[in-house]
Amino acid sequence: MSFGSAFVCALVYSLLTFIDTDCLSWQCLTRPIVVAPIVGGLLGDLHTGIIMGASLEAIFMGISAVGGSVPSDALSGTILAVAYAVTVGGADAIETGFALSLTLGTIMSTISSMLMAVWGAMTAYWEKLASECNPVKFKAIALTVAFLATLPGALIIFLGCRYGVDSLAAFISAAPAWVITGLATAGSMMTAVGFGILLSMIWSADICVFYFVGFIMAKSLGLSSLGIAVIGAAVALTVFFLEKNIVDDKKSAGTAASTNEVTSEEDFF
Amino acid sequence: MAKTRTAEEKSVLRKMFANSHFVFSNFSMAKMEANGFTMTMAPAIESIYGDDMEGKKEAYARHQAFFNTHAVAFNFIAGLCYAMEKDRKEGKIPGETIDAIKASLMGPTAGMFDSIFFNCLRVIGAGIGIGLCTEGNILGTFIFILLYGVSQSVIKWYLLEVGYDLGTSFIDSIFNSGLMSVATRCASILGLIMVGAMTATTVGFPLNWTINIGQTSVVVGDLFNAIYPGILSLVIVLVMMYLIKKGQRPLTLIVGLMVFCLVGALLGIF
Repeated sequence: MSFGSAFVCALVYSLLTFIDTDCLSWQCLTRPIVVAPIVGGLLGDLHTGIIMGASLEAIFMGISAVGGSVPSDALSGTILAVAYAVTVGGADAIETGFALSLTLGTIMSTISSMLMAVWGAMTAYWEKLASECNPVKFKAIALTVAFLATLPGALIIFLGCRYGVDSLAAFISAAPAWVITGLATAGSMMTAVGFGILLSMIWSADICVFYFVGFIMAKSLGLSSLGIAVIGAAVALTVFFLEKNIVDDKKSAGTAASTNEVTSEEDFF
Repeated sequence: MAKTRTAEEKSVLRKMFANSHFVFSNFSMAKMEANGFTMTMAPAIESIYGDDMEGKKEAYARHQAFFNTHAVAFNFIAGLCYAMEKDRKEGKIPGETIDAIKASLMGPTAGMFDSIFFNCLRVIGAGIGIGLCTEGNILGTFIFILLYGVSQSVIKWYLLEVGYDLGTSFIDSIFNSGLMSVATRCASILGLIMVGAMTATTVGFPLNWTINIGQTSVVVGDLFNAIYPGILSLVIVLVMMYLIKKGQRPLTLIVGLMVFCLVGALLGIF
């Protein structure tokens, strides 16, 4: 693929990620049905882009997962498939493009799970920045970093388009396996720090048993978060109304005492 | 929503709405949507605390906590937090109430809104869009953006207002009944249950370690899971909480965790 086409692909990746994920949070403009016509149009064949958008959307709809984790990157996959079909062409261009898109999607997922460890390590910096109480500065830096965060992916797209997926796969396998495993493991454990901070805010000895109850409901009973929320709300509301009754009783006892016998009020407490 | 709002409130809500589109910026596994929440709360914090630097600092730190829900449900909780921060400033509620309510709401709203938007509205929009695009009609793409993208922003605006109104009236009635400490405890109970559930589903401890003793080999992960399935995820979260309560800084923990994982991977534990 030519330098220009590869650059267009990288640019589309970077801008769409930034606009859709960071600035709109729709997770809509990065879907194949939107991406494919954009790439097709920029590379000079809008019609192919539209039609490929339809088929790629149908394909990726089956792969997408619920709850934030995405097993295969639909955005980069779509960009590569359409770019390949438009610039290289040929009878089986679309099929080849689809096949490539799935391979590249897997490479992108590996890279982004490794980068997750890096973004996790920035947590302390964000806390420090927030404590400066300067929202304008915070927003400016946050959005700049968000944009810079799209560049590694864009670089991979560029290299994939320019030099092919094989060289990228070779590059990734050149990194020692333990580094990749270690960083991926760190990524999946990183959430423990966030939960640790959150827990330290609401933890108290008399109710901490409910933390384990929640864990068991999800792990052993396999309930969905909504199901757990209903059970949790039932427990919380029961406790609330039990304690409310106690407080109300105390109050009414107190009022009765103060109206009847003001002098012996202390006896009631 | 028949309530009349002051010009100040209206302007804060508008600014919060604009910033609430940054939900996923700087998304990280450690704090997920914390930066998005901080930016969304910033207009409210600036307006409520004004020159009170101590309160401001505390509020910004509060909203830097781990947060994760669906981008649309996000606005409901942000609206609620705007109302609660106001009460916090007036001394009606302690900061822990806000932490507890955020923790208890993020899990269930994420599940509910994922079902509505990701599994329903997106599929409907894509279904119509795919039909038109297959015929080479670009209108399919625009209909998809309208149904799945623009609709989110519209609902985000309403949920921000609903959250704010609900927070104002609900908290006032609880405060007047003198049950604030009881309500905080109950929100913490629900929060603990939800964080427990999220620990089970999101924190991984992918142990891949086999010890060979003569002819028998022991899979270490199975040993721990025999105590209780997933007990290592639970242990690592509790260890993190213990260290934070002991005054360790998050950066130390994150770097420590990374070193631990890299060394573990090098030794073949993971």
